[in-house]
Amino acid sequence: MGTPKPFFLWRHLNKLRWLSLSIVFAMLVALPFMHVYQTFTAAHAYDLLAPAEKQLYDVMETLTGVFTEDPAEDLDAIKGNTWSGSFFGLQLSDPLAIAGQMAAGLKLYAPFLLTALIPVLFTLLLGRFFCGWICPATLLYELNTNVSTWLSRLGFKVGNRHFDRRLKYAVLGVGLLLSAATGSVLMAAIYPPAIVGRELYYAIALGGFGAGTLFFVGTLLFDTLVARRGFCRYVCPGGALYSLLGRYRLVRIRRIAESCNDCAKCNAVCEFGLDPLRDHFGQECNNCTACIAVCPTQAMTFVLRPTDIPEQGPGHLGKQYLRAHSEKGSIDAAP
Amino acid sequence: MQRRTFLDALLGAAAATALSPLLAEARPGVPTRQPTRSIRYLRPPGARPEEEFLAHCIHCGQCGEICPNRCIQYFGHENGLRSLDTPYIVPREQACILCMKCGEVCPTDAIQPVARELAPILGKVRMGRARIDERLCLSYQGKTCGVCYRACPLQDVAIRVGRLEQPRVLKDCVGCGLCERSCIQIPQAIRIIPDYG
Repeated sequence: MGTPKPFFLWRHLNKLRWLSLSIVFAMLVALPFMHVYQTFTAAHAYDLLAPAEKQLYDVMETLTGVFTEDPAEDLDAIKGNTWSGSFFGLQLSDPLAIAGQMAAGLKLYAPFLLTALIPVLFTLLLGRFFCGWICPATLLYELNTNVSTWLSRLGFKVGNRHFDRRLKYAVLGVGLLLSAATGSVLMAAIYPPAIVGRELYYAIALGGFGAGTLFFVGTLLFDTLVARRGFCRYVCPGGALYSLLGRYRLVRIRRIAESCNDCAKCNAVCEFGLDPLRDHFGQECNNCTACIAVCPTQAMTFVLRPTDIPEQGPGHLGKQYLRAHSEKGSIDAAP
Repeated sequence: MQRRTFLDALLGAAAATALSPLLAEARPGVPTRQPTRSIRYLRPPGARPEEEFLAHCIHCGQCGEICPNRCIQYFGHENGLRSLDTPYIVPREQACILCMKCGEVCPTDAIQPVARELAPILGKVRMGRARIDERLCLSYQGKTCGVCYRACPLQDVAIRVGRLEQPRVLKDCVGCGLCERSCIQIPQAIRIIPDYG
């Protein structure tokens, strides 16, 4: 067999991705609890805590006691969320936070710019990977997609409309203009990962969800009732920025036409509504590897090149290709 | 024809009303509109002047997440869209203990880092200034109290007491609000008047 085969682990990357998403989300849930625990230790008043608070204190003490003797100070090492956070002295920020802050402040602030350096470098290399591998909203959106699928099997009508993908670039542009005009980073109010990180903190540490939750639930309803994964596909300003940065990404998914049988499962599974079957990944692919995992003939693999490979035509195991080539009497048309 | 002119006028007026807040705030450096003072709030210690603060803050929530005293809360819509999810402190509920961790963790310098020492705190922290209502203050009514003085982290620098523990606020008060928090009068006889810069 002369056809290239994908490395066998690529098929399992999708599971790794779910693990990564779950870990990020679990961290966002754990951090507020850790903060509450820190405030309890700082107050030195264990005996005055309510029974539920004592339980929280005990659980957190057991969990963190392995790593630290002084939680009030040491747990400060990990703070924040995916919008902007600090991890053992390393500060990381979303590139959209940088763009929004630059627009609002109309000037550059170097230390803050540097916090986006690592995410930007990774995006230049891997494209829109944040959307598929890290974004805490993605976990909820993908679960929401699954729920929608079950609902449609039960007979509910689930929205599957299509809009122009370029809408989100307009949202990004208008958002930056509005940030500049009002002198406030308004983008943070409509960007789901920032909302999810914040709202989890509000809900756990401050005693209630804030206004952002309403907006987020709205996007979930939009995804269910209007367009599948609609917010990420058509509206998200962060997705737009990541897509632009990752336009000439080096790590891409490609189809191996020789082992493709045109089953189109890749198109059906693609959360962003791309067209892997016809080699159209474009700048919006987030390397989520769902198409690699679903492919029954192992016809999807990675390739290192800055642009998509040109269209390869129908898969060589598909009916269309076989019919065309058997009519010509080609030797390729072996069963 | 008349209807059309009316519609034009209506549309123009609507557009002008919709855009006027944006146009009025087109230059971030020049505060053309004071922040809404419907509620009295403080920004965290070391925060820049209000307009600059809003331009710097990315609403990430790390200042609140590191505050060991849980005094930092976040705005919903009550202070306008520009303040959505920005940090504030209501000293009567929970006052700032000047630990200065929020400035350390702030990624954008909206809250500037300030060392936890007297000189830098006096130089850079301008949350507000305490004001005493002598009609409410117990000490001024002849009942010796002095709780605000005892609560102040900058005793004799920010506040001084005289005869009958009658408090007097000095000009170096940074406005942390521990005096307002601890005042035993209801309503409190000492309040922080915020300084938004």
